[in-house]
Amino acid sequence: MTLTPFDHEPDPELGRMLREALTGPAPEAFLRRLRTAAAGAERGDQWDVLAGWARPRAMALAVAAGFLLWLGTWFTRSPAADAGITMASLPAHTVVSSQPPAADEIMAALRERP
Amino acid sequence: MEDTELAKAASGGDPDAFGELIERHGLAARRVARAILRDDDDADDAVQEGMLAAWRAIERYDPARPFRPWLMRIVVNAALDWRRRGKVRQAEPIVETLESGGLGPDRMAEAALLRERINAGLAQLPERQRIALVLFDSEGWGHADIAAALSVPEGTVRSYVFHARRAMRKTLGTLAEGMK
Repeated sequence: MTLTPFDHEPDPELGRMLREALTGPAPEAFLRRLRTAAAGAERGDQWDVLAGWARPRAMALAVAAGFLLWLGTWFTRSPAADAGITMASLPAHTVVSSQPPAADEIMAALRERP
Repeated sequence: MEDTELAKAASGGDPDAFGELIERHGLAARRVARAILRDDDDADDAVQEGMLAAWRAIERYDPARPFRPWLMRIVVNAALDWRRRGKVRQAEPIVETLESGGLGPDRMAEAALLRERINAGLAQLPERQRIALVLFDSEGWGHADIAAALSVPEGTVRSYVFHARRAMRKTLGTLAEGMK
């Protein structure tokens, strides 16, 4: 064993010692274990990948759909639409009159709203 | 058949091709993982996790690049991740179950002492030096492949190997002299 740090070639003696110390017991059984694990992981993991992909995207789609629904509802219940309903519900003379309508006329009109 | 051809076949869904790649690189991966984690069971579990990650990601492997640094990078990351997640059972040096292999008591004791010294030497090295030393001297990898596996420049790998060997020489030198 030379163990010269400047060597640009692997030291066979040091390499042998490292392999002896690090290979561990039952190398064949270990390789068999790895092969078995890889073979068993094949189908399930493909579905796992798809499921992992689908879950966050399904959630994002649900949130986006909810937002669009809320946005649509908000637009249909805008002040202009409400004003239209109110104007249409008020008696005609309160609309054309130069005087403001009486309070009971407004309350009656609001109570009549669908 | 070359590694890249096997990887292409594995990418096409051939589990036997990936099994052949495991046969070729599984033990090197185990040695590197044991050098990182310094525990038999943790290292084996981490290698298995790394191999499964490689199997799932094999379609993303670029055949224009060498296969074994790609695989080893995944295994090294799996081992580092294993430790980060606090899965390491203990930080004791590896204690081997001695298999006599027909050796006499003197030779067995000598082998046990050698392993003890090797493990002690590796334990004192910074992690990346340990990995570079194992890949260079134990696995016979070139500096370029080690650099690709560790995502560092080749010059850095040369420095890692230099410092690791110098430290190991201190630990093993006297023992090696005694063994001659």
